[in-house]
Amino acid sequence: MNLETRLGPLVLQNPVILASGTCGYGREMVPFLDLDRVGAITLKGLSVMPWEGNPPPRIHETAAGVMNSIGLENKGFHRFVQDDLSWLETVHTRVIANVWGRTEEEYIGIARLMDRLERIDAVEVNVSCPNVEKGGESFATNCRVLHQLIGAIRRVVQKTLLVKIGPTVAELEKTLKFMEREGVDGLSVTNTFPALAVDSERQCLVFERKVAGLSGPAIKPLALKLVYDVRHLTHLPIIGMGGIMKTEDALEFLLIGASAIAVGTANLVDPAVALEIVPGIESYLVAHGMNRLDDLIGKVR
Amino acid sequence: MKQTPVTAIKTRGGSFVELELAGKEIARVSRPGQFVMIGAGQSYDPFLKRPLGILSVQEDRFSLLFQIVGQGTKLLSQLQPGNTVSVLGPLGNGFSLHPSEAVLIAGGRGIVPLVFLASHFQQAGIPFTFFWGVKNELELVLASYLASFSPSCVLSCEEAVSGYGCGTVLTSFSSWEKTHPLRSGSRVYACGPQGMFRVMQKIPFFSGVPVEVSLEARMGCGFGVCLGCAVKKKEGSGYVHVCKDGPVFLLPEVEL
Ligand SMILES: Cc1cc2nc3c(=O)[nH]c(=O)nc-3n(C[C@H](O)[C@H](O)[C@H](O)COP(=O)(O)OP(=O)(O)OC[C@H]3O[C@@H](n4cnc5c(N)ncnc54)[C@H](O)[C@@H]3O)c2cc1C
Ligand SMILES: Cc1cc2nc3c(=O)[nH]c(=O)nc-3n(C[C@H](O)[C@H](O)[C@H](O)COP(=O)(O)O)c2cc1C
Ligand code: FES
Repeated sequence: MNLETRLGPLVLQNPVILASGTCGYGREMVPFLDLDRVGAITLKGLSVMPWEGNPPPRIHETAAGVMNSIGLENKGFHRFVQDDLSWLETVHTRVIANVWGRTEEEYIGIARLMDRLERIDAVEVNVSCPNVEKGGESFATNCRVLHQLIGAIRRVVQKTLLVKIGPTVAELEKTLKFMEREGVDGLSVTNTFPALAVDSERQCLVFERKVAGLSGPAIKPLALKLVYDVRHLTHLPIIGMGGIMKTEDALEFLLIGASAIAVGTANLVDPAVALEIVPGIESYLVAHGMNRLDDLIGKVR
Repeated sequence: MKQTPVTAIKTRGGSFVELELAGKEIARVSRPGQFVMIGAGQSYDPFLKRPLGILSVQEDRFSLLFQIVGQGTKLLSQLQPGNTVSVLGPLGNGFSLHPSEAVLIAGGRGIVPLVFLASHFQQAGIPFTFFWGVKNELELVLASYLASFSPSCVLSCEEAVSGYGCGTVLTSFSSWEKTHPLRSGSRVYACGPQGMFRVMQKIPFFSGVPVEVSLEARMGCGFGVCLGCAVKKKEGSGYVHVCKDGPVFLLPEVEL
């Protein structure tokens, strides 16, 4: 059975990816699953300099979901290279580096550094970050700023370039058109949904930063809608994600046109679940008389 | 995900439950101070697994002891032998195991990892004194877990109860410590509510001896990927992560 899939120039052995922020830098998952058997792993979002992230509480449980306010804590590029890179060389799967910055310059800096690492197969740009030069407004919410950012990053990235968008992206159609024009290779859809939690006992908001990102099964129908809309606005390949817990969820994203899928929050609860989804997709294809993954992708319009 | 069978479940008073699970591997490799993540619900409610300390291990089984405080622990309390749960573990770093002498200080349900530690010390012939304090009489049902260490135990209750020292675990420790100089190479091990650790950070005695504390934090994953379990470092900036760097830390390392 051929489970291969493509994201622009990047070929994956199967369409199941571990999402950024839910599989660390890979090594943390080793006790639970064989990384060589997933399509790709996406590293925790990295910036040039280390970043300490938000004060606790950082995690809050909701009905069938999780809200997080991690604040992009990460060890920074140089410690990543020291601690994790040589270990990642021993892993036989695709590695996607998720990157972010607080300014355009920081974004370009980290993208360029990652592009030079042989072990990294693709760069995924998380654009849902606060822009300190624009008073903390997210890069994603200003079409013009985002356009310029993506163009500048494309000029320094030779590897596969993925852009990770979410529900806050402004002017979706226009944004997708310039992504095509700038030569973006694929889109990751979706990041978490901005959400609020209130503590009625203590009569305050749960998170110090007020708004936190909702993920997990609670967002799956919203994520499907976003992937569906994006699919109809662009031909760029899509990594679909948002609440995927099991094979059926993954199939839904593939059916509406995602070329690959990512498992995020589910890893926190069951870190081996990606390796149930891979054979799950295979069995489905067999049961439906299909012999390639491509027969499935985009079957539902 | 692999399921672990419940082999026994016993309630202890109104709000505590001891849960015994089958698990050769966890029983074989667990060290005192480590914990497991355990799935409480069959569907998505509650969604995340819950961290629980390891109380004891037998040949092919291990036990947990928890207090019912919310939805997750309530569901766990309703399990029956033969039911199955999903478990990840053992997780975390655990206590150091080779002091010349040990002082164990537990508040309330903080007794759990220290019972495991005390049985290790007992087997290894390491002298120890176990202080355990509770807020009210109801929690005293857990005193049975200290029965096999009883000559080395000092119990206290904040409510006046006959046969128990009155006051907090730290008051009873402080009066003991005046007449019991510790030998060199001694260590203090503590587990309890944050308030207890905060008081300890202010008591001069505890800056003169290595003190290992086992912390609690809200956890997303329990194995170091989500970075949800952050606790501020005392020195410098940034955070430690309770599930991966801990749950055991040196008392001066963390901002409580
Ligand atoms: C490493 C570790 C080991 C543990 N070992 C044990 C043990 O051996 N025995 C035991 O009884 N408990 C232990 N706990 C605590 C236990 O995990 C929680 O009591 C449990 O997760 C509560 O789940 P619940 O669904 O019943 O309650 P929830 O509904 O999740 O919570 C009940 C109430 O407690 C609050 N709450 C929950 N967690 C925290 C927190 N970390 N900080 C502040 N408030 C919180 C909630 O907001 C809510 O008000 C341990 C925790 C950690 C991190
Ligand atoms: C704890 C946590 C940390 C995350 N960190 C990142 C990150 O660093 N960069 C990023 O682009 N997305 C991050 N995400 C978003 C996920 O990669 C994913 O897009 C989102 O959670 C939706 O998928 P899910 O419902 O399967 O989790 C994080 C999500 C969670 C729950
Ligand atoms: S609970 Fe996820 S990193 Fe500690």
